[in-house]
Amino acid sequence: MTRTVGAPASLRSRAIRVVGLAMAAVVIYTVLLWQAIQLVSGLSSDQALPVALQQTVNALSIGAIYALIALGYTMVYGIIELINFAHGDVFMVGAFLSVVVTGGIFGQSGGVTNVPFLALLIAIALICVMPLTGLLNVTIERFFYRPFRHASRLAPLITAVGVSFILQNLALVIAGSGDRAAPQIFPLDWRIPVGGAEISVLSIFIFVLALALMLALQFYVTRTRLGRAMRATAQDQQAAQLMGVDLNQTIALTFLLGGTLAGAAGVVWGLRFGYVRQDLGFNAGLKAFTSAVLGGIGNISGAALGGFIIGFIENFASALGFSRWSEFLVFMILTFVLLFRPTGILGQQLGDRA
Amino acid sequence: MKLTKVGAIAGIAVIALSACGGGNAAKGTVKFAIELPLQGSELAASEPIINGVKLAIKQAGGKVGGYTVELPKTAIFDDALNGAHDAQTGATNMTKIIGDPDIIAVIGPLNSSVAKAQIPISNEAGLAQCSPANTNPDLTKGDPAKTLRTKPNNYIRVVTTDDVQGPAASQYIYDVLGKKSVYVIDDTETFGKGVADAFVADFTQRGGKVVKHEGVPKTTSDYVSIMTAAKSLNPESIYFGGVTATGGARILLAAAQVGLGDVPFVGPDGINDGGAATQDSFLNLGAAAAKSAYSTLAGIGDFPGKAKFDTDYKAEFGIDATGYAGQGFACAQVMLDALARAAATNPKDNAALREALRVAMTDVAHKYTTIQGDITFDAGGDTSQKIVSIYNVKDGNWNFLTQVDYAAK
Repeated sequence: MTRTVGAPASLRSRAIRVVGLAMAAVVIYTVLLWQAIQLVSGLSSDQALPVALQQTVNALSIGAIYALIALGYTMVYGIIELINFAHGDVFMVGAFLSVVVTGGIFGQSGGVTNVPFLALLIAIALICVMPLTGLLNVTIERFFYRPFRHASRLAPLITAVGVSFILQNLALVIAGSGDRAAPQIFPLDWRIPVGGAEISVLSIFIFVLALALMLALQFYVTRTRLGRAMRATAQDQQAAQLMGVDLNQTIALTFLLGGTLAGAAGVVWGLRFGYVRQDLGFNAGLKAFTSAVLGGIGNISGAALGGFIIGFIENFASALGFSRWSEFLVFMILTFVLLFRPTGILGQQLGDRA
Repeated sequence: MKLTKVGAIAGIAVIALSACGGGNAAKGTVKFAIELPLQGSELAASEPIINGVKLAIKQAGGKVGGYTVELPKTAIFDDALNGAHDAQTGATNMTKIIGDPDIIAVIGPLNSSVAKAQIPISNEAGLAQCSPANTNPDLTKGDPAKTLRTKPNNYIRVVTTDDVQGPAASQYIYDVLGKKSVYVIDDTETFGKGVADAFVADFTQRGGKVVKHEGVPKTTSDYVSIMTAAKSLNPESIYFGGVTATGGARILLAAAQVGLGDVPFVGPDGINDGGAATQDSFLNLGAAAAKSAYSTLAGIGDFPGKAKFDTDYKAEFGIDATGYAGQGFACAQVMLDALARAAATNPKDNAALREALRVAMTDVAHKYTTIQGDITFDAGGDTSQKIVSIYNVKDGNWNFLTQVDYAAK
């Protein structure tokens, strides 16, 4: 499958279409939830609307976290057809590192109401954590996956599972097995009243941050030389090499980007949920991997879309009081999508050798 | 069939009791085993119990009826897997415990689901078992308890059960705090759902309104959405059925985040696991969000010898006694008392001693003088003391408020 780069006019109209569709989907979800809450919880129409609005924002925020992690799965799959099972654990390491930065180095434990200081803290957390998880991911690739690049596909896959265990057990040894408190430096009582609803500023912050990172990634992949090299490698490694693309560098770059985004997800996880633990990577990783498959593994927009869809499905179940069914719903929908579209909703765009 | 069994127990018990005058000559060294989850937030709950047992053995001088009682590190078993209790691991541990001929009694486990897997094994081997913390009624009552046992009873517990613990919380919320509606959330496990169900039944009976009873497994990632839904139902209070390891503090944090921070958050003994200084504990993770939290303990909080116990405990371990420390101490006292009576029968070897200890321990007629007061155990293994204690949060620690005695009710 080929993609045409350039033609700004068509890109702009495509962007407008995508944004329009996304907004329409969010509005439809809110209305659907509004009606469902009335039916299930017995709230009046006036009471249910603010709840539906709040839940939609919740969905966008958890969806954004899943999407950030899913991008790492999908990019790596796109470029070397490896399901990087250690990726969820890279996210977990990011969450722990963010606790080390905000709680350990800066000694914060609760909300910081001084806006410039808060912005500085979050910026420092992101600036410290993102490169570290990025480098961790690169190191994993260098020492655990690169030696198996020309081996059978099963070898790196099993290695990935092994790396996942190594990271998880390292965290277990260093941090212990229970929940660890993560400083929620973002004041949780910051809420914006919107039509009776109280929208959490943190949720909006998480969504906006994730969106900004995803747009930056999209820009990087579609508009820069290195991004073009990545896409070329994904399409045909040999041909890309013949055209002068440095394969090792490009693959390392992909891991770096994926790890960076996972690090960002780790930082916002701590802010939102207030705890981190050594097996965080398993659950979140499973959801994120499912997101990537749902959207079409190897496809960057697909991973983002899948992350949000799973965020919305989970939120729908939670909002109506069926949270124990949320995983059932997620995997049922995944199964149905794969039955009718085996390559995922958006198809496998980036890598088409599968 | 059943009558003959009871008769047999009674007969042996009578022999055991009447066979006084057993010499105090040295009879060798025996071991008590401890079986608890020793990881993560459950370590915070288990540590006080272990300390309590150690203190009791130390205060007894380590010698009872001619036997030297030891509690070596190798006899302390951990049933946690990846940071939370695991029934299968508990069963494996119990198999190891019964396989060690020097072990004559076991104290544990912490969790009811683990006890469910262990009792059939310890019962088959006839090993005396005392739990300082199991509260699920099915372990000692009715048909569910019978299916766990093939031989005469070997299991007792010094805490009362969830069919009392749940109602105690309900009574406190409804009568004392004056909250007439509640949002109930449990962790879908044996203990958590059991205590939450008992709570709901009692709260409804009192005329209170349960706005929603939600079951949320510990693998849930997004508690914020769930608590947003809870907030929309405007509950005056929240009841959590479960333990810290299965999401207690995460739910509390999410509740605070959606604006339910001032609503009383009440939980069972599973969240009463040490102060804010104890890593992984409910108060450690919940921090400032725990300001309106309450918890219950299915045991006596204000026992007669509490002041002395607290002083001794602090002197020995350098920290305050929390959670089920007193219950651990009581379990050890019960075992030592039973061992003294078993030793008096002059058993010929450790296997005979094990059986004699089991018989002595489960003697329904014997009145134990423990740190918690004078107690007896019924045929199922439940204590006569049906007291639930209520705690709130003060200066980052669980602060004893009151206790409710259900024995008369």
